[in-house]
Formats: sequence, C-alpha cells, structure tokens
Amino acid sequence: MYDIAVIGKGPAGVSAAINANARNKSVILFGVDSKKVLSSPSIPNYPGLPDIKGTSLVEMLCNHLEETSAVVSNKKVNAVYSMDDSFTIQAETEMFEAKSVILAAGVDFKKSIENEDTFLGMGISYCATCDAPLYKGKTVAVVGYNQESIDETKFLSEVCSKVYFIPLLKGDYQFSNNVEIVKDVPVKFDGDMKAKKLVLQNSEIAADGFFILKDSYPLTTLIPGLEVEGPHVVVNRHMETNIKGLFAAGDVTGKPYQIAKALGEGQVAALTAVEYMAKK
Amino acid sequence: MIDHANDSNFESRVLNSNTPVLVDFWAQWCGPCKMLAPVLEKVAANLEGKVDIVKIDVDENPIVASTYDISSIPTLILFKDGKPVGKIVGFRPAEQIEAAINGALNK
Repeated sequence: MYDIAVIGKGPAGVSAAINANARNKSVILFGVDSKKVLSSPSIPNYPGLPDIKGTSLVEMLCNHLEETSAVVSNKKVNAVYSMDDSFTIQAETEMFEAKSVILAAGVDFKKSIENEDTFLGMGISYCATCDAPLYKGKTVAVVGYNQESIDETKFLSEVCSKVYFIPLLKGDYQFSNNVEIVKDVPVKFDGDMKAKKLVLQNSEIAADGFFILKDSYPLTTLIPGLEVEGPHVVVNRHMETNIKGLFAAGDVTGKPYQIAKALGEGQVAALTAVEYMAKK
Repeated sequence: MIDHANDSNFESRVLNSNTPVLVDFWAQWCGPCKMLAPVLEKVAANLEGKVDIVKIDVDENPIVASTYDISSIPTLILFKDGKPVGKIVGFRPAEQIEAAINGALNK
C-alpha cells in the first residue's frame, strides 16, 4: 500500500508528489504530461522564469519528479473508492491501494448532453462493460466519442438485440447487422423516472438504455461520493474535500487556472495529507 | 455476513419485514459492486438493529430487479413498511450511506 496516490501529472500533481516525497512518504502518481502546459508557447507570469516555454517547464518538472522515489504510472484511473481507512484505485484493469489520495486531474470543459447528469444511473451508463448485461436482449443506443466506443458497441451488439450507434468521432467501423449507425447530433435525453429517448437534431431514438462512451468522465463518476460544484471539487484552504483522506489541488479546485496556483495547492495538499496520516 | 434475498422470498424478507431493509442490487460481473461489499458489511455492523441489509443478484432475480427498474448497479434501495424510501445509485463511502439511511429513517 502506498502512502499517497496522486492523480494527475500536471504542475499540481508533480508538486504534490515532490512535497510528499520530501516528507518521506511513498507516492504513486498516475498521469501523462499536461497537454495544457505543453501547448503554451510561453508562460509570461511564472515568477523568476520569465517567458519560459511550456515544453521546457514540463521537462524540468519531469526531471525533478524523476529525482524523487515516486512511482509514475501512465495508466488511466477509472475510479477511486473510499474504503474508510484507505482507498482503492482502479487504473485500467489494475487495482492499487493508498492511505490517502490527492486529486490533481485538471478541469474538463466538455459539455454533457442535456439531462445526461439527471438520468445517469437511470437508463444512462458510462460503462458498457459494467452495465451491458442489464440490457440482455434489449435495445440500447451508444453515443460514441472515442475509439474504445467502437469496441464497446461490438460488445453490446453481442448482448443486446438492437444497438443504435451515434458516432461523434471520425473513423472506420464495421458492425454486425443488429447495429444501426445514426449520423446525427445528440441534443437531449427525455424520460420520466428514467431516460427513455434521445432527441437528436434530425431524429429521435427510443431505447431501454443509453451508453455514453468518452475519455473523461464527471468527477463524481471518477470518485463516487465526492462533493463538486460544476466542474470543480469543493475544497477548503487545506485542500480537504468532503471525503476524509482525499485532497485536491490545481485547476480541478477552480479558478484561476494558473501554474503558480497549482504548484502551491499541490504543496498544501501534500502537507495536509502528511498531517492526516500522522493523526491516524 | 450479509444475507442474500431472491425473487421468491423478497416479499417476506424485505416487504413484510418489521425492520427497515437496505437492498443491495448487485451482480458477479460488476466491479464497483465488489468494492461496495466490504463497505456494506461495515454499515451493517454500525447500524445493527436499526436496519437489515440484504443482497440481490440481479442476474438470478430478474423479477425484483425489473420491478424496481434497476438500470445500473450497484443500486441501493431502502425499504420501510414495504415501500422504497430512498435510493442510491453507484458506490458510496460508508459514512455517506449511513447518513442517507439515517436521513431517510428520521424523516
């Protein structure tokens, strides 16, 4: 079991890992280099390093991280479960355990479809592998944003009697006869107790279940039970969330979306996590 | 250990129970359901006497699962006097499940 699991390899995550390591805590960090920082041609307001390039800063952060004993994994974290005294982190098909978690996953601006949040778990699912068997012999619709959604649709077509596939990606795909491809733009979900139909710009699809398959999920799907406000996690000045042992830092906690602020919050989160473990 | 209920004994075990019953709808193939199992053991111990907890495998018990429109698992439904009085879809930490049960029962 690790002392601290850090989710996210942007400035906040790297800062948290470096500071936790300085306090002799074992750290595992999940993530890939921050696209947002990498794509900044220059960072004019980073004190002491005027006009440093995004790529240079990422390289320096990575070098610093490599000097620590933190373990770095590029696996994608699917879910973090609070098991009271510890956390179980599911990263792709592997499970990891940690005494505390620092969420530094950045912020996602992608809008969801109208009523997607309302009906989540009530006719709408983000995980075909998880919930497909509930729709054995039934009709489902898949809104596919990513490459994986093609494989998931194939899997669903083996379980369900009929699958509508609404591709929101470019690519080649071939399905069996019970898959109908609908090239249209989703507008909203309609239903009463549960989602019953998907309204698109030019048509409507009625189905027993709807799968939305995309790369990043709402924070409450990543960490069930987490208190959020829009796309941000609710934290206090110590970077504590509503789940004990779970801290957050960086863009995920809200504006300003600035590197210096992320680094500072990563440090505070790491020190609060250290204090939390000392009290246990 | 948490008891398993099924389609045939659901009425006597859950609906006609004098004690409120929290039903955990789950399945063998569901990862989050497995994570929830030890959490519910803890909740059961903490709320002993106040609430019973039973598990229902949705694959083996399609009647109860479809009666209560289970479309994603794990789903927890709290029954009191034969009626559902609260529902949680998805994994939650023990603290939050206990707070939800207490909230629903003290209404």
